[in-house]
Amino acid sequence: MISRIWRPIKEGFRGLIRHGATAVSSMFAVTITLIIISLFLIFTWNIRQFTRGIEEGVLRIAVLVDYDYEAAEEEDRISLAIKEIDGVSAVNFSSKEEEFQYYIDSFSDEKTKQAFEPFRSSNPMHDAFYVEVKQGSDIQAIAAKISEMEGVYKVNFGGTSAVSLVNALRTVRTVGGVIAAALSILAIFLIQNTIKLTISTRADEIAIMRNVGAKNGFIRAPFVVEGALIGALGALIPIALTWYGYTYLYRATGGYVISNMFTLMPPNPFIRYVSLALLAIGVLVGLLGSFFSVSRYLRWKR
Amino acid sequence: MIECTHVYKRYKNGVNALYDINLKIDQGEFVYIIGPTGSGKSTLIKLLDGEEIPTKGVVNVVGINVGRLRHGKVPVYRRNIGVVFQDYRLLPAKTVFENIAYALEVINMKKDLIRRRVRAVINLVGLDDKGNAFPSELSGGQQQRVAIARAIANRPKVLIADEPTGNLDPAMSDEIMSLLEKINAAYGTTILMVTHDLTLVNKHRKRTIVLEHGHIVADLAEGGYVQHDQ
Repeated sequence: MISRIWRPIKEGFRGLIRHGATAVSSMFAVTITLIIISLFLIFTWNIRQFTRGIEEGVLRIAVLVDYDYEAAEEEDRISLAIKEIDGVSAVNFSSKEEEFQYYIDSFSDEKTKQAFEPFRSSNPMHDAFYVEVKQGSDIQAIAAKISEMEGVYKVNFGGTSAVSLVNALRTVRTVGGVIAAALSILAIFLIQNTIKLTISTRADEIAIMRNVGAKNGFIRAPFVVEGALIGALGALIPIALTWYGYTYLYRATGGYVISNMFTLMPPNPFIRYVSLALLAIGVLVGLLGSFFSVSRYLRWKR
Repeated sequence: MIECTHVYKRYKNGVNALYDINLKIDQGEFVYIIGPTGSGKSTLIKLLDGEEIPTKGVVNVVGINVGRLRHGKVPVYRRNIGVVFQDYRLLPAKTVFENIAYALEVINMKKDLIRRRVRAVINLVGLDDKGNAFPSELSGGQQQRVAIARAIANRPKVLIADEPTGNLDPAMSDEIMSLLEKINAAYGTTILMVTHDLTLVNKHRKRTIVLEHGHIVADLAEGGYVQHDQ
């Protein structure tokens, strides 16, 4: 049993060493494709990060409660009424004291913070509700409904242009994901072709295996192991480039691109995930590529 | 052991390779198949080892109807027959020992049994000191001995030799013939040998089947002399 598992692994390694030149060309194909996939993964994951950050601010309506309606039962009524509106996902209360503190905390220098302190006793802020909406397209209509409610002093939200930005980033994110997936499929074809080339150079070997009574699985297994090894080795350079390249980029930019709104994912654990994804894609692509090409070859030979 | 009944073979490209072949070879027989190029010898071999299926008729080897074998069953069937080719067909990256052992690994034989079996056949073919050599380090005759050792390692009931002396000089050819006769006598293996070498056929006389244009034109009993124009 152990030898049945061990044999294809041993043969796979041997095959890799014996057919070094073709193996290197296959690895090169994997390397190039995985570098491109890595760039797309980094790009789409960061876009996801950007959009999430922006969505938090944009898909939220701030509802200020009128001074005359600050009694608990009035605020409960307003909260319930907002929750009943279609498209609202959450309603969070923030007291005028909390609002005042947020406002002060938004200043970075101590002098300004101190300057506002005297106003704490005569707090001009309103009690507020933060309303999360499910879809950016509904935000305007929901804001309009809330503004008509009794006891609502004012509503604020990011505006339609911000919603458009989120939608645009979402599209970029989806397109990036689709391109990464398409590149993975392309990599499978590339591997399939190079392994097909390997197989045609080893057709005699396969014919001999068949002549001595080797079943298809017995013939196929070492090729599949070899393919997986090619994929894994082909992933090494892209992993190294991702690891050092992204860490360098993060350090060089200080973690921000263009403005503070666009923060980069911190290298840890992000690059570990990307590296694991690259290794997994490499192994899977090599494994599937060789499996398909050997199977196709064997199907036509009796 | 081997029985062909009204066997026809027509390839997809329209070439008719065999017409109404009827033959019966018993266990332990040593039979030559001779005939000019294009007479259908290779096609007959392909039908017997399951590489091709007959267009019509029944090919029965060791009790198996080869033409009706499913694709997946062919490898297991081949374990009943050993095949030796003119070009030896050894795995170049494996040593002599590994080449022979490979035929036993595919049938999941235990390692220590493989070792014993390989040593025995290496001894039988007279290559005791070449176990660790690679095929490229051997002469043509020695490579053919390795191929024969591999073909008989799992003690097949039938050994098909397709022009086994085709690439060898007369002295080497004689040696290979002696080896095949030794195997035939020692194990009772049925041997079917395709050859062009009429000198060899007349020297080591056996039952001889003559093919021409896809037909069996003669089936000479052991001891019969074959004319050189045949």
